[in-house]
Amino acid sequence: MQSINYGQNIAHIDELFLSMASSVENAVRKASHAMKTQDQELAKEVKKGDTMIDGLQQAIEDIVVETIATQQPVASDLRQLMSATKLASDFERAGDYAVHLAKGTKFFINEPAWRQLEELEAMAEAGCVMIRQTAKAYVGRDAALARSTAALDDAIDHTHKALLKEVLTFLRDHPEQAEQASKIMTISGYLERLGDHMTNACEAIVFMVEGIHTELNE
Amino acid sequence: MNEEYPLQFASDHIALSSKDLAVIYADGLTAVKKLSISFPRKAVTAIIGPSGCGKSTALRAFNRMNELIPGTTTKGEVLFHAKNIYSPSVDPVAVRRHIGMVFQKPNPFPKSIHENIAWAARIHGQKGNCDDIVESSLRNAALWDEVKDKLRKSALSLSGGQQQRLCIARTLALQPEIILMDEPTSALDPISTASIENLITELKKDFTIIIVTHNMQQAGRISDMTAFMLLGDLIEYTSTKKLFVHPEDERTERYITGRFG
Repeated sequence: MQSINYGQNIAHIDELFLSMASSVENAVRKASHAMKTQDQELAKEVKKGDTMIDGLQQAIEDIVVETIATQQPVASDLRQLMSATKLASDFERAGDYAVHLAKGTKFFINEPAWRQLEELEAMAEAGCVMIRQTAKAYVGRDAALARSTAALDDAIDHTHKALLKEVLTFLRDHPEQAEQASKIMTISGYLERLGDHMTNACEAIVFMVEGIHTELNE
Repeated sequence: MNEEYPLQFASDHIALSSKDLAVIYADGLTAVKKLSISFPRKAVTAIIGPSGCGKSTALRAFNRMNELIPGTTTKGEVLFHAKNIYSPSVDPVAVRRHIGMVFQKPNPFPKSIHENIAWAARIHGQKGNCDDIVESSLRNAALWDEVKDKLRKSALSLSGGQQQRLCIARTLALQPEIILMDEPTSALDPISTASIENLITELKKDFTIIIVTHNMQQAGRISDMTAFMLLGDLIEYTSTKKLFVHPEDERTERYITGRFG
């Protein structure tokens, strides 16, 4: 028979997670849009919103520590709590990447020639889908959804590699654009890392549900 | 109430308090030394500590039960609705009605389930048909569904966990404000313990509960506030979350981490 207090704590963590995931997804989407439209005000909003995301991570960690201290969970309950701290950390990093993306807005204002990069937009959108589904997989304790969500990282990685190839090809004819090319690849790298963090989060969900450590998308 | 530093409650949040409460047994042992503590209303407060620390003695002092032990002396004050329950003008029986007690070993009367509650209610002045009180008390103790078809059966035919819930129902029938529980689950199996713990969590919506337990994990699971006692002294008293995550006193840390006690 599960303790009422334990159940309330878990429900609270789920609620905070959904809130955190929603905030991170919004941040990534806003950052992507800010880059595309060179909207500096929108970029500032993303940077400001990161404080709240960090606060949600701390709130989740505090509840996990309190729950472990006072409820003594074992087995799947303990794995669930340990996974919660892992996921909170991955989501917080994703929030940080949204801020880095937002800072990229300035680059696109100064370098109009590089603006039409649909690849970056596609990677950001794929990242948003991963964020949303990862949160759903955690709250639903759904290992199958976690696995299928991690598989979406393939598309992000593929796009990142294709972009790298394209940029290198371009650079051969335009070596004077090396600094700009490097900036583009850094931005692309943020989105690629975001996908990796969501994959890590999905691995934590699989561990939570099945109790096994697994590498998804090797 | 500030969860981090809850030692100062607003007066309307305090259900019971003690000031310099001391209890001395006939052999001269001072089991409780100058205990000053306030218990928040409609919350669960756990008192933990090693054997012999004075926690059960302190609990019994909160409804004058130590007076049933010959030669025991109580000093200081216990305030309930701003009145010292040890005042000469206060009737201890009336105190025990408002501040009820549940003991470690379930102690149902050797009567029917119905009579266990009805008789207690009648003794305390309930007149007429007690069926409503019996039903509401059993419902509040989460026992009604299990016994409603056998109310005339002997209470002794119930399992240990059911007997303890019956004892809680019997206490509830007197409509107390505060329920003192002295290790209420230590004689029960894990499933019964879990059901009593969940019952306590439900009961705190309407009652103030003070529970003595040697099981600090239980204190962690169900209490809002925890007081740690050692050798008759109150060492630390704070929110349960704080005590179990970051206790202030090294003795508390050593006790809850199992280094002594």
